[in-house]
Amino acid sequence: MLKATDIKKNFGKLEVLKGVDLEVNKGDVIAIIGPSGSGKSTFLRCVNLLESVDGGSLEIDGEYLFREEGGKLHFAEPAKKRALRKRLGMVFQDFNLFPHLSVMQNLMLAPMQEENANKGAIEANCRELLRKVGLSSKEKSYPCELSGGQQQRVAIARALALNPEILCFDEPTSALDPELTGEVLAVMKKLASEHMTMVVVTHEMGFAGEVANEVLFMDDGIVVEQGTPAEVLRNPKQQRTRDFMSKLLTV
Amino acid sequence: MEYFQDLNKLGSLLSEMLSGTLVNIEVWAFTLLFALPLGLLICQMRLSKNKVLIGISKIYIFYFRGTPLMLQLLFMFFGVPLIIGVTFSRELAAILAFILNYAAYFAEIYRGGIQSIPKGQYEAAHVLGLSNRVTFTKIILPQVVKRILPPMGNETITLVKDTALVYAIAMSDLLKEAKIAVLREVSIMPFIIAAVFFLVMTGLLTKLLAYMERKFAYYR
Repeated sequence: MLKATDIKKNFGKLEVLKGVDLEVNKGDVIAIIGPSGSGKSTFLRCVNLLESVDGGSLEIDGEYLFREEGGKLHFAEPAKKRALRKRLGMVFQDFNLFPHLSVMQNLMLAPMQEENANKGAIEANCRELLRKVGLSSKEKSYPCELSGGQQQRVAIARALALNPEILCFDEPTSALDPELTGEVLAVMKKLASEHMTMVVVTHEMGFAGEVANEVLFMDDGIVVEQGTPAEVLRNPKQQRTRDFMSKLLTV
Repeated sequence: MEYFQDLNKLGSLLSEMLSGTLVNIEVWAFTLLFALPLGLLICQMRLSKNKVLIGISKIYIFYFRGTPLMLQLLFMFFGVPLIIGVTFSRELAAILAFILNYAAYFAEIYRGGIQSIPKGQYEAAHVLGLSNRVTFTKIILPQVVKRILPPMGNETITLVKDTALVYAIAMSDLLKEAKIAVLREVSIMPFIIAAVFFLVMTGLLTKLLAYMERKFAYYR
């Protein structure tokens, strides 16, 4: 479905990504873990075209968003890029809801911009999504009236409102109090059980171990180790992965 | 005190001053009507990626913010006709000068508002596939309006008082009517009335602005 090859990214002289590969197939739940500054968030942002890349290729369903040829990057034309881009959904660490819009307006805004948008159908779909994330009663609320966990669930519903094929999460629970992370993880687990394809950058090892079918451990701009949760989390082969895991356990 | 004994005299003084007030209100309203959009345009130039547009907007703001409004007003009425050979009416010269001056301040207030919107709002709009136009009109601008209300309120109140500068090109505004009456009647009462008139105008405006801030208080 999605194939990222040799993604490179520099911030000035600092190489943040030194060539990262990722292949996502339908129904995959891929967890990307690693220490702060390892480049995992930057990688996800590159895949979502939120950062300019310095090298590599990205294709969705066999169509290129950008590709590197002879050392130069070629981008898909804007209309195609937008169309392909829409197959990805993104959930941010700090939610990024639109504060001046109600919950329902947050969900409906993007679908309503599509050609031939049918307001009734979109409204019904958004209601259903709110029900799914357990916030049916909050339709008319504004983001500032919601807890962090509720805001993040709205953000997930908002991303789902565009029917993405792959939903990306950038540390979705890192800005939440511990007692609120559970409700967000529960929604994500529910999506996984419905075979939603997901790529999750996370510090939640429990979630990675329980829900993901593949775990990538990143450090220093590269994928150090990759495999099933059992392999990477419980039985890592690389020393760097072991060091990271033991640090987590001792804390 | 003789005004209170001679109600006819008071009535005619008040009606003179009221017609002067209309001049101030006219300049105030036309300035806002045109300077608000012009300021947004200059702000867009200032925030564009085009070096020429940025340069033009910077020079514009530097000139109009950096010289006295009184000088700009005099220049518009006395100077511009000498250069382009077209004479403006007093009203048009005054309104043009005020629009150009206030647009410079408004542009900078808009810029402050736009730049204070967190990057995450643009990123959310981007991943939702919103076009630049929709992002600006439906996401950014409504939030900017809320943020710039207090400084814009300051400017619109300052503008009420600044309109008295049209006196410099001999327009019959409230201040000029008051001064004529003061000299004619040898009384300071007209000045006091003028001050009250200005206070009523700025007071009403303060109320209106507080109402608008409350309207936007439904979110943080």
